[in-house]
Amino acid sequence: MQGSWSLLGPLSWTGYINKQVNVTAGTDESHQGWLVTVDPVSASLVLVDFREDGGTSMEVVMGHAVENVTVLHEADEVTLDRLRTSVLSPATCSLDP
Amino acid sequence: SIATSAASGAELQREQHARSVLRETFLRCLLSMNNKKVRFHMHGKVKVEATFGASDIDVLNFQVSDLHTPIGVQKEALIRSQDVISFTVDE
Repeated sequence: MQGSWSLLGPLSWTGYINKQVNVTAGTDESHQGWLVTVDPVSASLVLVDFREDGGTSMEVVMGHAVENVTVLHEADEVTLDRLRTSVLSPATCSLDP
Repeated sequence: SIATSAASGAELQREQHARSVLRETFLRCLLSMNNKKVRFHMHGKVKVEATFGASDIDVLNFQVSDLHTPIGVQKEALIRSQDVISFTVDE
């Protein structure tokens, strides 16, 4: 799948949503997290990781740098809930000005 | 680059719907990073910290404040997304 990530298209990207993925990007860098979304314009991935101290980290991996994406795990109900509520609650990121 | 496919009307509609959902979620994610400390991982093993501002619509540049570079702090800066591998926000 090398270099083809940005050519997959929205329907294929949607299949990776809410899954824990391992992304290799740049030279020998790998990133793990739950895939929240893929920007259809730049093919960039948004990964979320729940840390042990209760915090959340969000990482954006640029589409142009992506070498390979592999699925590690599917989200269970608890994780799905956490992804829905803690990361993208409308209160924290409303699109209204 | 926007991936397109020569598909039937229904297929195209499904694809466009998926595209809009993905894009809206992405914009919400960027919005949630506004004014937060981010770490940029750039090509050549360069890591810099800054306060995230915004990106332009094609995600070609990021606007940041207080960019900590090896030669000092840049009050305001634009970072070319082509130079970036990834960036992280810790909450």
